[in-house]
Order: sequence, then structure tokens, then C-alpha cells
Amino acid sequence: MAIEFKKINGDSPGYFAIVLVFAAVVAIGAISYLANHFGNAPDDMSQRVPWGIVNGAIPYYIGLSAGSLILSALAGVFNIKKYKVFSRMAAFLAIAWIVVAILSIVMDIGKPLHLGGATLYFNLTSIFSWNAFLYSSYFVVCAIYLIAMFEDKQTATRILAGVAVFWAVMVHSGTGAIYGYIYSRELYHSVLLPPLFIVCATSSGLGLLMATIYLTFKYTGRKLDPDLVRSLSKVFLGLILILAYFLVDEMFEKGYMPGLQRAIHFVFLDPSQSIFWCFWLLLIVGIGLPAFIVVYPRTGRDLRWLSIGGIIHAAMIYAERFYLIVPGEVFPREYLPGYTMTSLNTLEGSIVSYTPTPIEWAQVIGLFAVGYLIFLIGLKVFAILPEEATEEVIEE
Amino acid sequence: MISRRRLLILAGASAAAAFAGVSPIAGSPEGTSKDPNVPRWAMLVDVDKCTECVKELIKKTGDPHVKPPCVVACDEFNNVPEFEDKKKDPQWMRIAKFSLDKESVEPEEFYMPLLCNHCEHPACAQVCPTKATFQRPDGIVMIDTHRCIGCRYCMIACPYGARSFNFEDPRKGLRHINPEVPTRSRGVVEKCTFCVQIVDEAMERGEAPEPACVKACRLYSKNALVFGNVKDPNSEISKLMRTGYVIQLRPGVGTDPYVFYKFIKERP
Repeated sequence: MAIEFKKINGDSPGYFAIVLVFAAVVAIGAISYLANHFGNAPDDMSQRVPWGIVNGAIPYYIGLSAGSLILSALAGVFNIKKYKVFSRMAAFLAIAWIVVAILSIVMDIGKPLHLGGATLYFNLTSIFSWNAFLYSSYFVVCAIYLIAMFEDKQTATRILAGVAVFWAVMVHSGTGAIYGYIYSRELYHSVLLPPLFIVCATSSGLGLLMATIYLTFKYTGRKLDPDLVRSLSKVFLGLILILAYFLVDEMFEKGYMPGLQRAIHFVFLDPSQSIFWCFWLLLIVGIGLPAFIVVYPRTGRDLRWLSIGGIIHAAMIYAERFYLIVPGEVFPREYLPGYTMTSLNTLEGSIVSYTPTPIEWAQVIGLFAVGYLIFLIGLKVFAILPEEATEEVIEE
Repeated sequence: MISRRRLLILAGASAAAAFAGVSPIAGSPEGTSKDPNVPRWAMLVDVDKCTECVKELIKKTGDPHVKPPCVVACDEFNNVPEFEDKKKDPQWMRIAKFSLDKESVEPEEFYMPLLCNHCEHPACAQVCPTKATFQRPDGIVMIDTHRCIGCRYCMIACPYGARSFNFEDPRKGLRHINPEVPTRSRGVVEKCTFCVQIVDEAMERGEAPEPACVKACRLYSKNALVFGNVKDPNSEISKLMRTGYVIQLRPGVGTDPYVFYKFIKERP
């Protein structure tokens, strides 16, 4: 039996209701953005913490995109036929998330009207400059790959899947390099960040994909073979364990350096800091709990539990972005290493708190809703959902 | 989305740059000028004099957050705004106290001004996605605020915290505006320019330039700051650099900063 992809009718009250809900969240996000950038709605960013959670949205959504695409395309590259049912859906989600990621760049920068400059003036030494090229070309690669699938071009799809995986790895390594190559901040500077970003991307992308698959099939009344999602969850388990390994390795490596002792205490051992909770909750709730859900037979067989595990992990990856971006800014840099510094007129030299305001959260959540709004409309406009998804798929 | 034309332009530009042998090292591809007639501007801070000034001022005013003449002059000349909220307040020149925590010995604390170091390999220009931050042949690192997209990547990359972002319209935090220096708008990054307007005007007249902070320090305080051309071995700054132990901030990151700090304490 060949896979049949079909559009959904999208005329039920339920469909319109959920579209309206997401549209409302998008509207709140948009209003928050306008109030923040053009009005006086407060954010908690500062001269010491110039990158907040809206900036964190950029790697987060690029991660979801790269993760989705890698998973969609791996089925093509390695010819894993049973996952082909999800290929279109995952590729479409990848496009939705890259749109959201580019939108989050627009929302994060101070002069969105100057953004054209990033395409006109190319700085060879700026990773951001390279990424402007990578992100926009990545969108095109995703789109061509999806079109090839729509047209049922088998060979083209397979080749494009390979190109897409390569591009996604480039795009997300580039994103990791934005942070990891910052040699002036000890807590940023890490060779591990690009690969860690790839793992994060695939794990969070897959986590969210499992939940999206389950919920979409359920609410469109389509047949879904639970074993398909279960086998995805095994891949998911492997990825989150690799992520935990990376995080712990990084923690010990930084902790080994006496010069970083104060910073390490601040990040990992001080419960009065939000960073502490970000890290440990990520490890325990974001990785430990989903791993348990997958491994424990009663929950591991239940698609509802697996979806919850996937959502928890994807949500906690946001804490990972916070843990990654914020401590390196909040913890003071030493201009004269080893000396205690107190600034007379600025907050330099001291730990500067950063607590994201509701205005900032509304923007991040609004961006998330944009992704799902695109997906919901996509379900209606494009044939991305299979009629049914079962293990026994026979190629035409 | 990227058009085929733009893709070709980008690919062509990258190839051309590769052929032209563009160095992947930080800063503008050309770097500062090798021409001996083009100056290389730098600043030298006498840490001992600076410490003396700040300590006296704090004692006299009783205000531990007092702004010495150099900072006041910088703010006034460069239209640097003042906001109540320290988190959002931009600052070009800052004074900081440094101490080595050794309770049994209690070494003497010292004060130093912090400002843009106008590095030879500026990390900010290295990361700027639009080349809004660039280095002049005389070493001064500038921001084209019309090109700046406000991504704040430079603030993250700068090892010296020298850059400020305009979270607010800076004109709202100014009591009066110096027409010689353009004001900036909300959403861009700004920083010390070594008072580039003063430098350029002095050069035109054939005089030695003296930025606002240096002048204020000479007129109203201890003359702890010296500005000049380090390519000229006979300039005042070059001569003074030979009379003490000179350090740079964070030399290990390889940005090669051009604000130097001299440590010499008069023997009692």
C-alpha cells in the first residue's frame, strides 16, 4: 500500500477554534513586541545583559527547525521507509520554524528597518553574517525538498534530503558558533556548543514532533500505528542522553578551572539564582523525566505519555537556551583577571540580575504560536498528512 | 528568501574575497595603516594619578558614585545621556576600583578609567554582521549608526564592556545637546570614539588632538590621561610609556587594546 497524503478539510468548529486560539496568542505577542520596542513596556535587559529570552528564541526555533528537518530527511537519506509517512509533515514544520526563527531575529534587533543591511553588507569574519546567508538559503532548501516530495520525485527527494541534512547541520552549528566562539566570555567560549546545538535541535525537534504527530492524528481522526511513535521515542531517548552527557561534561570541564570557581558556584550551586534551577531542572525534569517515561514500560507504550515527555523536553530546552545565554552575561567579566572590580557608575563587576518580564515571555510564546498557526493552515492548504500511518509501508 | 541573483553575488563576493587573500583574523581586512605618516592613536592612563584623584573626590564629596571631571566632560561633549535606571543607562567612560583580595596583606586599591580600547584586532568589528563597526586607518573604532541593526553581538563580543545599547531614546536623557557630536537614536549601539570630532579637527589644523576626557583631566585634575600617536617615538605618549610599567587589559584574548595603563607609585 502506498502512502497517500491528503489535505484536511479544516471546516470543523474545532479547527477554527484552535486556529483562533493560536491567532490570539500571536496577537498578544505582536502587541507586546510593539509596546516593548516602540513604547515603554518593560523588559529586564540591561547594558550587562543585552541578550534576553527573545534572543534565546532565535537558537530555540532554529533548533526546532533543524531538528524537524534532520528527522524528516534522515528517513530519505537512509531510506527508512516506515518514517516516510512523517517526512512531509516534519519538513513543513521545519519551514514553519525557520520562518519563526527569522521573525525572532527581526523582533530581537533594535533596528528592524536596518535589517536589509545584513543582506547588503557581508562581513566575512562575522558568524552572524554567514548565518544571514545560511538561514535564508536553508529556507529555500527546505522548500525545494518539500516540493520534491509533493511531486513524488523519488531520486530528487533523496538527494535533496542529503543536501537538507547537511544544510541543517551547517545552519545550527553556525548558530551554536555565534555563542560558542565568543572568546571574551568564559561561560560562552566552548567548542562543544555547535555539536551540542545539533543534539538539542534534534532532541527538542523530535520531542515536539512526537506530540504533534500524536495530537494531529488524533484530532484529524487518522489511524496511527503506536509502534511508529514508540520507535521514534527510542531515538529520542538516545538523543536526550547524549545531551545530558554533553551538559555534564561541560560542567566538569568548566568546574576544573580554579579561575572559574566563583562563576561555577554561581551557575551550578547557588539555589538563589534562576540559572541554578534552569540547569538542574533541565537535567532532572527536562531529560531525566522524559527518559524515564520512555524507558518505563507502562508509560513508554502510551502515546499520551510519550507526547507529554516530548513536550516537557522541548519546553525545558528553552531553559537550556537560558542557561546558555544568560549566565555568561550576568556573571561579570574580569577586565583585569583575578582582581575584584567595583564600578562607580555602572553595574559592571557585580552580578546583574535578569528576570524576563511578561512582555518578553509574551513575545516568545507568540512566536511559538506563529509556528503552529503556519502548521495548522498548512494542513489545510497542502497535502502533508498521510491518510494513515502504519508500520507496513510498501513503496510504489 | 534569497534570490538567485543575490546568491550569485554572495558566492562571487566570497570567492573574490578568498582570492584577494582576506585575513580571517579580527578587524577590518586592511587593518590600521602601515604608512608612518598616518598616526596610530592611543591613550595612556597613569593609574597612580587617577587613583589619587578619585580617592580625593570621594573623600571630598562623600559620594562613592561621584563622576570625576573626565567622565563629566565625556558625557557633555559626546551627548551621552543619563538615565536613572542603571540597567539601561549608557556609559562611554567609566571609573572602576580594582583590588586584590588578600585579607592578611590588604594591598592598596586602585582606580582606573574604562573606555573603548580601540583595539588593533577589535572583536566588535570582527562580529558585526553589517560592518557597521569598523576601524579607521588611524586605529579609531567607529560605529555607523545608520548601518547598525541593533543586534548587540558586538556588546557580547567586546572583552571590555565598552559598548552601550540605546534601550531608550538617548535624547530623552540629555539636558543640553552639543551640536558638534551627532546624537544617536533608540535601538543602536554606541561607545567612545576617542572624541573623533576633536581628533579630526585638530589634525586639519595641524595640532595635537586632545579628547574631552584628557583635557578635563589636565585642566581640573591630576593630568593622569595622555592621548597621542604611538607611531611617533617622540610624542608625549610614547615618551611617557617608556617611563613606567605599562599593561593592557586582557592581553590574552589577542585584541591588542590601545588604551594602556601605567603602574608607577612614587616612593615615599
